[in-house]
Amino acid sequence: MPDRTRNLSEFQDPLENYEPPTYDDPLEQALAEETVSVIQSIPFAKVTPATPIGEAVEMLANLHGSCLLVEDEGRLVGVFTDRDVLDKVALGYDDAKTRTVSSVMTHDPVYVYDTDSLAAALTVMAVSGFRYVPVVDHDGKILGIVSPQRVTGFLRRVFDAN
Amino acid sequence: MPALFPRWLEWFNQATNFLGCAFGYSAGLPVVEPERRSDTMKLYESLASEHVTELALRKPVLCTGDVTVRAAIQRMQAAKLGCAIIVDADHRPIGIFTESMLTQLLVNDPAAVDGPVSARMSEQCPVVHETNSVSRVLQALQRENTRFLAVVNHEGRVTGLTGQKGLMEYVADHFPQQVLVQRVGSPPPKEREGA
Repeated sequence: MPDRTRNLSEFQDPLENYEPPTYDDPLEQALAEETVSVIQSIPFAKVTPATPIGEAVEMLANLHGSCLLVEDEGRLVGVFTDRDVLDKVALGYDDAKTRTVSSVMTHDPVYVYDTDSLAAALTVMAVSGFRYVPVVDHDGKILGIVSPQRVTGFLRRVFDAN
Repeated sequence: MPALFPRWLEWFNQATNFLGCAFGYSAGLPVVEPERRSDTMKLYESLASEHVTELALRKPVLCTGDVTVRAAIQRMQAAKLGCAIIVDADHRPIGIFTESMLTQLLVNDPAAVDGPVSARMSEQCPVVHETNSVSRVLQALQRENTRFLAVVNHEGRVTGLTGQKGLMEYVADHFPQQVLVQRVGSPPPKEREGA
């Protein structure tokens, strides 16, 4: 029988001397300490990879949206945005309408967890160049989407409050 | 031999500077560290005091109103931008055509792709002045509910383009430790805490 009391007495907490970072700037503090879950990441619209491009473009137009999440069997597999429409569809729309979203969507999109900091989400946007970052849980299920509008809304609220 | 000395000194300095960068010390010529904005000015203060020109401004796509939507699309594609600023002969903005307008056009009137862009643009082109603070960009993006802002000089001529992306990059510059990108289907980075 192992001596658990002895093991516990010898245990050294690796975070014993950890001092969390401190911020003297309200914006930096809010972005670093608040998580993605504090900003509105819903509503969001989704389609399947087999959705015809014409139908997806109509969805974007009717919703006055810029991004559709592409879901297959409950998991995020891609993102279709108005930039895909501009770059890959616009000049041959008649031919492209009947093709599927999967042929033009961004595969393997960058994502964040709802427990990530807002600063992490914002940095992902800046570094990856993607304006829309899906939010998923640890099982890969889609929870929402972080958009630049929602981030700038948060920044504005914190900026004006200080 | 004297002729070799400067080259030897140069090699020595290159080597010590390389080692200095790699291991955090300096032994030869001084290693100049780039100044980081976040070390000198906090985000709130930066937003309030720095000018729009501190943002990484894009070179805008400028079109006159008689250009076809198709030509505007081709220019936007080439520039990898989501909008074209429609200007008069003096480069003053008179409208904007964006990719979200394009989506509406494709659904409602696809034949208009070959018509003039002036018939499909918004006549409200949101602008900020070069001398405005960055916080003005934040306010304008929210107030106008837009993604793009034309940057104009004191004569009202378009000199650049900014918007949500430029602001995201500016803010992210204050969080260099947060660079963390992962893609669906790939294992999470080992550095990710708690994953």
